[in-house]
Amino acid sequence: MKILVCITNVPDTTAKISFIDGDTKFNKTGVQYICGPYDDYALSRAVELKEQHGGTVTVLNVGEAESEQVIRKCLAIGADDAIRVNTEPTDSYFVAEQIAHIASQENYDLILMGRESIDFNSGVVHGLVGEMLGIPSLSPVMKLEIDGGVAKMTREIEGGKEDVEASLPLVLGCQEPIAEWKIPNMRGIMSARTKPLKVVEPVGSGLTITEKYALPAPKGAVKMIPAEEAEKLIDLLKNEAKVL
Amino acid sequence: MAQQYSRRNLDFMLKEVLKVGELTQYPHFQDYTPDMFDMVLDTAEEIADKIMRPAYVESDRKQPELINGQVKVHPAVKDYMKAMGDSGMISATFHYEHGGQQLPLLVNAANEFIRGAAHNSFVMFTGLTAGSAHLIYSFGSKELQEKFADRMITAEWTGTMCLTEPQAGSSLSDVVTTASPQADGTYKIKGQKVFISAGDHDIADNIIHLVLARIEGAPLGTKGISLFVVPKFRADDAGNYTIDNDVVSTGIYHKMGQKATPAMHLTFGDKDNSVGYLVGEANRGLQYMFQMMNEARLGVGMGGTYIASAAYYAALEYAQERPQGRRLTNKNLVDSQTFIINHPDVRRMLTFQKAIVEGCIGLLFQCYWWQDMIHGLGSDNEEAKAYQTMLDLMTTVAKTYPAEYGIKAVNEGLQVFGGYGYTEDFPLEQMARDVRIMSIYEGTTGIHSLNLLGRGVTANGGKAPQLLFAEVMKTVIEAKNHEVLLPYAEKLEKELGRLQKVTMHLLGLAAQGNNEVFLADATLYMELFGIITVAWQWLKQGVVSQNAIEQSAPTGDELAFYQDKIHTMKFYFHYELIKTLSLAARLLDTEVLTVLHEEVEA
Repeated sequence: MKILVCITNVPDTTAKISFIDGDTKFNKTGVQYICGPYDDYALSRAVELKEQHGGTVTVLNVGEAESEQVIRKCLAIGADDAIRVNTEPTDSYFVAEQIAHIASQENYDLILMGRESIDFNSGVVHGLVGEMLGIPSLSPVMKLEIDGGVAKMTREIEGGKEDVEASLPLVLGCQEPIAEWKIPNMRGIMSARTKPLKVVEPVGSGLTITEKYALPAPKGAVKMIPAEEAEKLIDLLKNEAKVL
Repeated sequence: MAQQYSRRNLDFMLKEVLKVGELTQYPHFQDYTPDMFDMVLDTAEEIADKIMRPAYVESDRKQPELINGQVKVHPAVKDYMKAMGDSGMISATFHYEHGGQQLPLLVNAANEFIRGAAHNSFVMFTGLTAGSAHLIYSFGSKELQEKFADRMITAEWTGTMCLTEPQAGSSLSDVVTTASPQADGTYKIKGQKVFISAGDHDIADNIIHLVLARIEGAPLGTKGISLFVVPKFRADDAGNYTIDNDVVSTGIYHKMGQKATPAMHLTFGDKDNSVGYLVGEANRGLQYMFQMMNEARLGVGMGGTYIASAAYYAALEYAQERPQGRRLTNKNLVDSQTFIINHPDVRRMLTFQKAIVEGCIGLLFQCYWWQDMIHGLGSDNEEAKAYQTMLDLMTTVAKTYPAEYGIKAVNEGLQVFGGYGYTEDFPLEQMARDVRIMSIYEGTTGIHSLNLLGRGVTANGGKAPQLLFAEVMKTVIEAKNHEVLLPYAEKLEKELGRLQKVTMHLLGLAAQGNNEVFLADATLYMELFGIITVAWQWLKQGVVSQNAIEQSAPTGDELAFYQDKIHTMKFYFHYELIKTLSLAARLLDTEVLTVLHEEVEA
């Protein structure tokens, strides 16, 4: 089984977010980057499937050289090789175009990725890739088993779950608890150094130009009102917050 | 819960101060690239975040229980051991041929720091297992290695060190546990061991005890002590470890802190059926055990430091959020209360904590770096021999100062919380209980102080302090190149002179032949020695920071980081280094007040 796992290189959730160049660029100084948490689950499931069925796991990242630390970590977790498309991932369509281009050169049985990245959170890349390759895409997949050429999945839907089956090849957006959380082990870390990491140039060009970023408005101060002073609370909500 | 450590500071120590990447030039570490060290720390962070930290408080409240002769521990211990075994972290620093990956000890120290700051009690299980497996690999037969150590490094089984007996704590020469030779080459072990950390539990199928005992007819004192592997279960005829090896959990101690790790009273051979396997040669047990003890001593110094680190960050977060009173310059009661971090006395307490934590990291990481350099250069290399000499001297200081000052730092952290710090609503009371053991574990402060003054500074004609002082002077000379550091370099140079003067005075007392008078205030000497060597580490960090400011022109958070380093270094010199005045005064004072006269003892 050939599996392609697409990963994002995103700021750690605790990173301090700020912008530079007239608020047109994200300030990367001092920011710790991690593999997107949903992508982590996709990779972990891919490694488990490889262990069960044999085959290979290739990691794909659309990103600049700074992504390589996170890519090496994915190799340490158990991927066999990696491809980096050397460009800034400016928008979902552009990223999907790169993935589809790479995927079209090999016959992957599964193309897995997180249900969404945690920086821009568009959650549409898997759908776009499926459309570009002309194969089905499903998301968010929380359980995945392979039986012959068929994938048996559980998908989260509004207010519940849905069990579905589909023939391979497929593009899937993944989320927990699709796999056991995995950490790189020492042998993995040692072997990651020698696993192939191919760098390729992008096709096409991004359609999006960022005009301006802005941080959310700071949270207002909290006022504590004693439970026995409900009238005061109503007064504040009417006259100060003006929400009543 | 607040963060427990600064990854930025660990990176600073590893990459900028000690230049860990340069270790990869040596054959022993040649399979590494610096980015792989980052991955090791990332793995430690994941284990700490996902398994250890969430269980920190609960495993304190639900402490281990001894039920029907079997100890049950918090279930998260098993998850932790599995993660550590699966990740290969238990044996990461071991040689390739012993199932290890030859990871630099320096990187492993940072790895342990991250885990220990999250849950200092869980780290005990892996520390003991790694230390005992390493001991078997170093001195045990191939058979013992394959039978026991190979199953310990995967965390399938765990390990302990069994030294202390009811009548032999600090005085190991009084160990009375016996080993009777059997016809098949094994020994029957009989005796009692107390305070055995992780001595019993329900998270592994077997526990491998490393036991100090006397073979019948062995000489008195430490020269008659041998080392044995004594498993909880021994092998049956089929090679399965199913036979109860007569190691009985006689009691469990109800401790002040570190409650997630059971401390056991174990009885060996009550039914005359406890089989032990000799490690190495007879009567060399204590010598072998020193490998594990020295590893554990640095580990205890680390314990004092990483608990102090967790306490510091908790106190810092609290001080930034807790409004109380107004600044002393503001008499207007209509104004909102200010956060307590704005009060000078709170800032003093917080800066003290930071100075202790980061200074102790410097001291400990220096020792780990020396060890890595010995591995890198080879123990026959002259430079490596010098590092070994300094390491032998400083291990005792790097155990004791961080343990003692870790306690003080956590205490200040608790004080920042005021009354809340004394409650279970915040983790400081637990940290204060946890850290208290560090000045007792692996040789009390008193014992280590006797060792430092009685042996360390005098061995080989005082070669170790000579080498160390020369290293300190290298830093002093570098610091003098920077105007901002010059006064601090001069201060440290002066203190080095003071330490030499005190040392010569004490050696003069030794020459008079009364060891009790000579060693009566060894603990104060240890404190003096510790303060001055931590000041050296701070000056070293100051030099690296000032170089970064001058050469790299950092901005924003990076500039603030380096400026903060310089500020904390200054604090250490102005608030801590000056304590040498009173310590030296006492040590030079000839009035003897604590030594018993012969007639009083009689």
